[in-house]
Amino acid sequence: MDTAALLKKKNRKNNIVITGMALTVVVLAFGCLFAGSSRMSFRDCLDALLRTGTAANVRILWNIRVPRVLAAVIAGAGLAVSGLVMQTVLNNPMASPSTLGVSNAAVFGANLSIIVFAGGFLSTGNNLSNLTVGANPYATGAMAFAFAAVSTLLILGLCTVRSFSPNVVVLAGMAIGAVWTAATTILQFYATDVGISAAVVWNFGDLGRATYRTDAIMAGITGVGILFFLLISWRLNALLSGEAAAKTMGIRVEWLRFLVMLTASVITAVCVSFLGVIGFVGIICPHVTKRLLGQDHRVTIPVTALSGSILLLAADTFARSMGGGSALPVGAITSLLGAPFFLSIIFSRKENRRC
Amino acid sequence: MLSVEHVTFRYSRQGPDVLRGVNLELKPGEIGILLGRNGSGKTTLFQNILGILNPRSGSIRFEGEDLRKLSRAQRARRIAYVPQDIRFGALSVFDSVLMGRVAYFGMKAGREDYLAVERILRDMGLEAFAQRNVEELSGGERQKIAVARAMAQEPKLMVFDEPTGNLDIANEQQIITEAKRLAREKNIAILSSLHDLNRAMEFGDRFFFLKDGVVKYTGGKECFREDVLRDIFDINVKIAQVDGQPVILQKQEEML
Repeated sequence: MDTAALLKKKNRKNNIVITGMALTVVVLAFGCLFAGSSRMSFRDCLDALLRTGTAANVRILWNIRVPRVLAAVIAGAGLAVSGLVMQTVLNNPMASPSTLGVSNAAVFGANLSIIVFAGGFLSTGNNLSNLTVGANPYATGAMAFAFAAVSTLLILGLCTVRSFSPNVVVLAGMAIGAVWTAATTILQFYATDVGISAAVVWNFGDLGRATYRTDAIMAGITGVGILFFLLISWRLNALLSGEAAAKTMGIRVEWLRFLVMLTASVITAVCVSFLGVIGFVGIICPHVTKRLLGQDHRVTIPVTALSGSILLLAADTFARSMGGGSALPVGAITSLLGAPFFLSIIFSRKENRRC
Repeated sequence: MLSVEHVTFRYSRQGPDVLRGVNLELKPGEIGILLGRNGSGKTTLFQNILGILNPRSGSIRFEGEDLRKLSRAQRARRIAYVPQDIRFGALSVFDSVLMGRVAYFGMKAGREDYLAVERILRDMGLEAFAQRNVEELSGGERQKIAVARAMAQEPKLMVFDEPTGNLDIANEQQIITEAKRLAREKNIAILSSLHDLNRAMEFGDRFFFLKDGVVKYTGGKECFREDVLRDIFDINVKIAQVDGQPVILQKQEEML
């Protein structure tokens, strides 16, 4: 009966969910430091973590595993939240961080860098390699980002002509994405064997490319983005009642859509440029969250972010443990692990929440 | 209070004029009903008044201010909308009504916003629903929540687009009675479209008959004449008196 009391109870329930998931991320991240392909024992890992182990083990842990785990947490959160807000502003459950063709553009940029400019040059740099071999280790990532950014601005610019109607944005994104994919195919057709294999390997998402520096850049951009989305969560809620209704509630819908698309695309562009294509996180996590907790963005934004981190951490750990000496591409594992869970949620009998 | 003058509108540059010089005047607290056939431009006119669409020419003034000069949020604090197709996300009823306050609080709802929502829910007898998911409610209940959300905007004018379109006869009666009560108590003007002519007569103070993008007749209940209705709706009707009240009857044989 007392609304205020009920409201407090509900807020407490949401806070428990969010805190619980945050703790899960921390525990899982810590646990993931102990998994990998280098056959280090639990004891070795612990020693390395405390910097008391062998020099090699300390380097493996602090220079490979820690940046990698951080990348999983950051990119997982960024990609998942980008998917969520894209779905809201485009009123389209199929929308994902790559809806504007960002990933396709990034892939083209990276391929161009690898195939044309660097002749099979692959590394985006890591903390182990000696960085003096000629080319800038960030060249491929920078190129990928440049193309993703140009593509995003191009589409957003085009869509202002049509006052940001959601369907126009989705279709324009598809069309531009197709152009980048076609260009990539043509590029690969003319590539050498080495070039093409390097390019294909780049396309597989791989968290192993993360360094402390790339993690810091991703964390900065993703953090600002998520904060921004949290601040506008009521406006995003209003958009759920439809475009016309939202406008009459005082929301500048076109402007909101533009800002959200831009922010989400930049987050995606940064993650994809540094790590390669990691698909499906931006679809699975938002939908599972909405299914279980409803659509209030004050709740779904943090929960989706945390579930993205969890999915990517789990997928990466799985990838590192199953590769038999080397890590499987994490992009494939997110779908492999996530899709069955996703399907079980979508087809479950719990019908009281709508996606 | 609301004055629409010579408003014209077309959807595309080459397209036909959907509104061809609409004039309409509404006083504070008055209930105005817009009547006309499908495609006569009722929804288009509403969307122009609400700022969802912009008129090609003419002026729409609210309390003397040009509506186009107001920001969306300023407009939302004056005019609220109950659309024909009512949607909410999967939110609780409380949050759905609180959403109407977004033009006031922007980022984060404050104490006064929560109090306002509680007051509205109590006033409309919706307290028991507060924590329910809106998506689980029936059409009639959702319609009421939409009215509550509009009330949360503390508007001076509420625009209803076919408020009874999907409702059964009991819910229809209820929503109209409720809207009328709120309008009278809080001195809120209402502009609504309605298909049922008898319902319209009972609900409204002032009537606007729209045909081919212009308001052809304006006035009180005396406007419901057989010749007017024939002109607007292309039907033959008979107006009978039942218990001293006029009742509009359709002449069946001539409809064929």
